[in-house]
Formats: sequence, structure tokens, C-alpha cells
Amino acid sequence: MASDPITAPAYTGKDPSRPILKVEGLVKHFPVTSGIIMSKQVGAVKAVDDISFELRRGETLALVGESGCGKSTTGRLVLRLLERTAGRVEVDGEDIFGLDRQALRRKRRDMQIIFQDPYASLNPRMTVGDVLAEPLRVHRVASGAAIQARVEELLGVVGLAPYHAQRYPHEFSGGQRQRIGIARALAVNPKLIVCDEPVSALDVSIQAQVVNLLQDLQAKYGLSYLFIAHDLAVVKHISDRVAVMYLGKIVELADKGTLYANPRHPYTQALLSAIPVADPEVPHGRGIIQGDVPSPLNPPPGCRFHTRCPHARERCKIEEPAFREFAPGHQLACHFAEEIAIPDTVRARQATQISDAYRRRLAAYESQQQRRRTAAEETTA
Amino acid sequence: MAEAAAPLLDVRDLKTHFKTEGGLFRAVDGISFQVHRGRTLGIVGESGCGKSVTSLSIMGLVPQPPGIRAGGEILFEGEDLLKKRPAELRRIRGGEISMIFQEPMTSLNPVFTVGDQITEAITAHLPLGAAAARERAIAMLRRVRIPSPERRIDDYPHQMSGGMRQRVMIAMALACEPKLLIADEPTTALDVTIQAQILDLMRTLRDETGTSIILITHDLGVIAELADEVVVMYAGKIVESASVKALFADPQHPYTIGLMGSIPKLDEQRTRLASIEGTVPPPFALPEGCRFNPRCPFADDRCRREQPPLRTLRDGHAVACWKAPLEEAA
Repeated sequence: MASDPITAPAYTGKDPSRPILKVEGLVKHFPVTSGIIMSKQVGAVKAVDDISFELRRGETLALVGESGCGKSTTGRLVLRLLERTAGRVEVDGEDIFGLDRQALRRKRRDMQIIFQDPYASLNPRMTVGDVLAEPLRVHRVASGAAIQARVEELLGVVGLAPYHAQRYPHEFSGGQRQRIGIARALAVNPKLIVCDEPVSALDVSIQAQVVNLLQDLQAKYGLSYLFIAHDLAVVKHISDRVAVMYLGKIVELADKGTLYANPRHPYTQALLSAIPVADPEVPHGRGIIQGDVPSPLNPPPGCRFHTRCPHARERCKIEEPAFREFAPGHQLACHFAEEIAIPDTVRARQATQISDAYRRRLAAYESQQQRRRTAAEETTA
Repeated sequence: MAEAAAPLLDVRDLKTHFKTEGGLFRAVDGISFQVHRGRTLGIVGESGCGKSVTSLSIMGLVPQPPGIRAGGEILFEGEDLLKKRPAELRRIRGGEISMIFQEPMTSLNPVFTVGDQITEAITAHLPLGAAAARERAIAMLRRVRIPSPERRIDDYPHQMSGGMRQRVMIAMALACEPKLLIADEPTTALDVTIQAQILDLMRTLRDETGTSIILITHDLGVIAELADEVVVMYAGKIVESASVKALFADPQHPYTIGLMGSIPKLDEQRTRLASIEGTVPPPFALPEGCRFNPRCPFADDRCRREQPPLRTLRDGHAVACWKAPLEEAA
């Protein structure tokens, strides 16, 4: 078995215009049962309910939404870590729900996942070297001495040192553990990586390090990311396109420039009005939607957002809005999107004041950081 | 912005250490700040900076051992809380100073109704009978905008959503009209639309009641929304303190600047985020000199040797850095 060249770019597809991931009419219902011996189904949690989207090669598509919107379930379905109820998922042109066990295992080389919690997703009894070597053995990417070389290379790629291979996960900080999680995902040269809230559990300064690393790796290896997150500021920074989910449905999908500047679904508008921004001059406390997210066990009829929507009318309570093309490349599910104005709060939050003093000092900070980095490289070289 | 009146809370050179098998952990190491009446002080920092230990020290909730009161004073209305007997502290805690925590599910007792828990707090501190306390609890639930409070008062915590539970915690904390409310990451566990609701509620209640608040968070966005004054903590020390406007307009400490640069902004298109290299130092191996020096791009020999004092630059704005202002250091 020929092993791949170690740093080959992930992209090996035949047709570069074909999306790396295509999701059509995907549905996942979790049955709710009652009784222990004569158990019968009494309902279903409609975690994901008929969603469709595409992820292009080298692109980052973000799935955003609040708890219970189905974004993580979607991430797991896309890798077939869960079985679907209905619908289709194609990874690089192949329907992954049509694969048998053997073929699916082979396919998993192309698709990997980075989890939110780097504490829970690493086996505490395996050294980091073993954690990284396991996928290489399972997928027969490398064998013998090549394994150790590849492990050291992977550690270098994510900014860790070769000696870290002998350490155990508990010896690392949260940010370093997330780097190990990323290295593990990269081990088999995947094309698609599902990033499931990869920075949510990290401190702000460490978050920035990991976000920068993910961007560097994407540029270097041509990776495609399905980036699942709830932080709209991080999403805006990292993604090319954004899909907003609410109670198992995609309510709006557009490129990020459009979605942030011209959000047309009232839920997207509400999310963008709710983010606390680091500028005390921005007016706050307006445009806040009331109430909680309803249970996905009994989602409201008609438009699922109508119970909290400030623009809801009779039609919204009865008729479910279709997910339609609002403008080229901008899809949404709202009957009245054409009539709803963009609230001022959305604009105000994207026109924050950055003071000159801060800008000057940040520039000094970064140039100084760069100077030290260069000096350090020269001394080690 | 400094009030002429005496501050409600005056923390002076507070030191809270922990004796552990690994050695002495100086979690809070000589910090001073003031909270004025009717104002909100934000304490911001990352994990391990000592912000939560600060709040627990004020509440007298640091277990001893392993905690050690290594020094300082916590003057609440002029009286040192560190010198109070446990019975006196119990009267103050929940009465004059109360606290809300990050995770409302773990701070509410699952086997009692929310009504039982709120009335318990009320009857412990106010001379009210059971019926009057229940009335007051219902009024408090209404005040935190819980719909049909007469019914919801008999709910158990698990019957409520995360946002509702945090409202219950706020109702309980404010039931005895405290002078000081300590809110430790009050919205961190909540979804963004619910977070906005809770921040809005806290702002309204503060304006209605005039309660002073200490707001502890890692999120500079939350600070900008709610705080009047801010202290930035790093590894057990205050590195910068200022009014919220001055902090964002004129940040001085390299850590504050790195922290601000680490947050992606909605309106700015940068290809890379600024970052703070390395990680927070482990508690038993705090560096000599300035504790931020191993991560600071400006650090020189003096920073590695001598700890910078918190010095005042102008009215109400202080920074602990040898290099400030940084444009001259670069």
C-alpha cells in the first residue's frame, strides 16, 4: 500500500467545480418513547428538519444558531456519525449513506471532525503520540518509522514541539489540547473538516490563536470547513458563507458580507442585534426579542419563529415559509422578507468606534510581536 | 468620575492565597479597587486571573483551609468584612451583599420549588411571615419579567429554561434589596438572545433600585454593555483600571490591547486576529517581575526583574506597566 506524500494538499478531486459537500433534504428525528418493556414511540424531536446546502472546495461555511437549533446534529449527520431519517449527503460526489461499512471507513479519510471540548475528546490514557498515530494506522496512511515522522510533522504543523508526543493530554492547557485535536483531524489528509464549536471552550486570547491556526491550515492544505458555532463575531471572521439555523431549519443562508450587512430574516436580525459589542458608545437594550426557543419536540406550526417574531402575521402561524432564493446567492425562509426593514441596532453594532489610541497601540503591539518572532527564528536557525 | 462620598466597597491590598500540595498559590495577590453607590464595576480577565476568587473573598466564601487570608482589608460601608464573625457575615451575605453565579442549574436546589428558595432567602433576612414572604417572592418574579409568576412560583428549577432560571437567581439575589450585587459570569452559559434579555434586565433593575454591581466576566462586550468602571486582571494582579469609556478609548496595558485585538469585530475586516502568545502562567510558577512579561512583546530586563506598580496616569485611569504609553516604547 503506497502511503501518501506527507504534506500533499488535501485536494485530489477530479472536478474542482463540484462541491465537496452537498446536503439535500436532510432530516433527523429522534424518537421519544414511553414505557420500558412495551416501549412505544410517542413523539419525535425534530432536530434537523429538511435542510439543504452546499459547501464548495476550500470554502468555510458556518452553521450558526442557539442551543437546540440542530447545528451539531447536522455536523454529525454530514460525517454519518448518526444515521439520517431522510435526505441525502454527498461528500465529494459520493452518497455517504449508500456506503457499506468498509467503504465508509475508507471515506472517513476524507472527512474529519474537531470537537468543542478538547478535554473530553482525547483519551487520557494515551500519549499524544499514540493519539496521532492511531488514525495513521487505522487508515494505513503510514507504517513503521514513517508513523513517528508523521506524528512529529503534525505536531509542528499545529505549533507544538516533537517532545510533546510523549506527554499525556492532562499535561496540556486547553488551547494546546485543541491543537492536538486539530492535528488528529489533519493526520489522514482530509478534504472536509467539520469544526464543531472548536473555540467556544477557550479563553479569548487562546481563541484567537486557534482561529488563526485554522485559517493558516486552510490556506496551506486547501481544506473545506463546515464551521459550527454560536459566536457571530468569530463566524464573521472565519467564514465565507453563513447559514443561520433555528429549530432544525435553515432560515437564512448568504455570503457573509450580505448576511451581516443585509440580514433579511427577522431571526438573523435578532441575533445580530443581541451580540454584546466591545464599544461602550453603542446604544444597547433595543431590538431584543423576547421569550425562549420553543421545544423541538413540538415546534410551533407555520413558521417556527413566529412565536418570537416581532413581524409575525396570521399567515406565519398557518403556512410554513419555503426556503427560497431572495437574491442570487441569498436564500431565506420568510413570507415577508421583502417588507421587513433592517433594524438600526444591526447597523449600530457594525459601526463601532475604534479609537486612534487603541489602533496605534495595537499596531505597535503587533509590529513588536513580529520583530520578536523574527529575532527568535534567527537565533534558532 | 470619582464620587466625593465614601465608596460602598473599598478593597485594599487584598491577598487570598491557597496552600496546596504543589505549593503556595497566590490567586489574588494585592489588589485594590472601589465600588461606588449605584455604579457597576466590571472585573475582566481570563481563566485563572483571580476574578472569581476576588468575589468569593468579598462574600467570605473562600474555604479555609486551603484558602489563606494573606492580607488586606475589604471595607464594606467602612467596616472590614475580613474581621467579621461568621454570624455577622451570614447576616450580610444574602441581605446586604448577594451574588448570582454562572450556572443557575447548579446554584438552585433541584428538590425545592423556586418559591421555597426565594422565600427562604427573604425570611432569613427580613422580619416577614410566610404569607408576606410569598407575596414578596411573587412580586420579585414579576419584577424579573417571569410571565404568570403566581403559577411559576411553584415550579421546580428543571421545569424552567436556562434564561428563566437565571431570572429566578436574580429575583432571589435582589429579594432583600441588597446594596451590592456580585454577578459572576451571569450570562456566560446563556444563548445570545437570552443573554441580551438578561443584560437588559440587569440594567433596568440597577437603574430602578440603585444597587451597586460587581460584574465579573471574560467578555469585553458584556463589560461595554453594563459596566461604569473596569479593572483588568491578569494572574492575580490588576494590570489596568479605568472608566469603561477610557478603557476602550485609551487602553494602556499590553495585555488589555492584546485581549481587545483577540476579539473579532463585526465591522472590521482583518485577515488575522491579533493574539497573545503563550498561555497564562501555571499558578505555582508565576514569573518574576511583571507577571505578563513572558507573553509581552514589549518586555525587557526591567520587566523580567521588577514588578510594575499600578500607577495613575490621569484621573481614574491606572496601569501597571513600565512601558506605558506604548507608542513611546515601540
